Amino acid sequence: MGMNGAAKLALANVRKEFVVPRTNEQVVAVEDVSLAVEAGEFLVIVGPSGCGKSTILNLLAGLEMPSGGRVEMDGRAIEGPAAERGMVFQDYALFPWKTVFENVEFGLRYGPRRSTVGAGERRERVRQYIELVNLQGSAQKYPHELSGGMRQRCAIARLLANEPEVLLMDEPFAALDAQTRIILQEELLRIWGEVRPQSKRKTVVFITHSIDEAVFLADRVVVMSSHPGRFIRTFEVDLARPRNETVRSDARFSALSQEIWSLIRDEVYRAAMTGDGGQG
Amino acid sequence: MTARLPLRGLFLPVLLIALWQVWGFGLPEKSRAPLPLEVVEAAARLIGSGDLPNAVLMSLGRVATGFLLAGSLALVLGLLMGYIRTVERNLDPIIESFRPVAPIALLPLAILWFGTGTPAAVFVVAYAAFFPMIINTIHGVKTAERRLVQAAQTLGLSRWRILQAVILPAALPAIFVGARLSMGSAWMSIVAAELAVGSKGGGGGTGGIGEMMFVFYAYYIELNSIVVCMITVGLVALAIDHGLRRLQRWMLPWA
Repeated sequence: MGMNGAAKLALANVRKEFVVPRTNEQVVAVEDVSLAVEAGEFLVIVGPSGCGKSTILNLLAGLEMPSGGRVEMDGRAIEGPAAERGMVFQDYALFPWKTVFENVEFGLRYGPRRSTVGAGERRERVRQYIELVNLQGSAQKYPHELSGGMRQRCAIARLLANEPEVLLMDEPFAALDAQTRIILQEELLRIWGEVRPQSKRKTVVFITHSIDEAVFLADRVVVMSSHPGRFIRTFEVDLARPRNETVRSDARFSALSQEIWSLIRDEVYRAAMTGDGGQG
Repeated sequence: MTARLPLRGLFLPVLLIALWQVWGFGLPEKSRAPLPLEVVEAAARLIGSGDLPNAVLMSLGRVATGFLLAGSLALVLGLLMGYIRTVERNLDPIIESFRPVAPIALLPLAILWFGTGTPAAVFVVAYAAFFPMIINTIHGVKTAERRLVQAAQTLGLSRWRILQAVILPAALPAIFVGARLSMGSAWMSIVAAELAVGSKGGGGGTGGIGEMMFVFYAYYIELNSIVVCMITVGLVALAIDHGLRRLQRWMLPWA
């Protein structure tokens, strides 16, 4: 799929099974999934809840190991979590005993670069990223003193300050109200560096169940179905960048959204009526 | 309303103490019943002479020593047991088989090994302080949020850094619960240990509060002073717990 051969991230015929602890039942979360993510690409995986999209992200992060197939970065197998693949979680996962400043500083202070980045440079970089996400007034606050949107900004700054090559985002805006969500989507594109050429951008894999969000953010949308989780179709999003609010009223935007919705509608209905699904 | 509650709560105790005192006026001289006014007198005497403060300080010193020795060992072992499955598998049976043995039951052993002085008391205190601390530390490590560990992993932290920078702070609230229970149990067992050891030196300058009680009970049959000691034991326990809670609020402002 990659235009210039080598993919940044690759999944090849990946399968992931779980054993349900209480019943010892085998569940296939993801079956025969293949995907190549280009360097600098913003890829969004969208699907109904319970389709295994979070599993894909955990595999890419190295938090889980595949039961079959290969998961690679730059052509090398991913064998565990590493600083080069940073992650943002739906529930923020900020360290509650650390202030905003200390949270953003966390990776540089305790991670693999702690000996190469000096204290002065570290503070400067942290200040820079706090400004980038507009939290400069709250640097000394604790996470519990922040709104949900501010917490997620803080988590994004923590991720970026660690300067990973790949950003993995697991439904980062799902817990936020609709207005905050829209604002943070635009913010994310700005922070990601929409105006820069693709070679200067970070590679992003973003998970969501919101089709609007997927189309607004993505270069490419991959649609998943559940039981077991599979990729059913890929859409190139040929909307011009930088994108802003007006894109949402673009005819191409609604056409794409409609098309994706018609693909997953049946499954979403089934899940909603039977209470099926659950884990993201 | 909330401000008046404590005062109202005092009404019945004060009434009972007054009744007790009135009843006491009717008792013959040399009776063995301690009486409120005489307890107050005894308290003034014991505090004035410095005997009571010295005894409390002596006992507190022993408790602090035993608590620090046992607490730091329990903290390290608890962190490792909660974090590394193999360590837990090997140590858990040992710890669980000692845990039901009451600290005071170790006293004969402690006296044979260390004599009747401070080392024996410290040994019993350390034993009593060890278990609440290690059990709560293990619990704290195991209930540390998995998400926070994952966040640290994706920031590139090594397993040992995660123990230091994520697991330990996440477990601190539980560790504080352990420390408070541990201190409570240490203080109770110091009094019991000192009582059982008795006092060769005759209370006073060198003994702890338990030894002081022993002297009043065995040598002088001084009930009012014994009651003063009992009240002191309770107040000191309250003060320790209050102090630890304040320390927790100060150290863990987020919790």
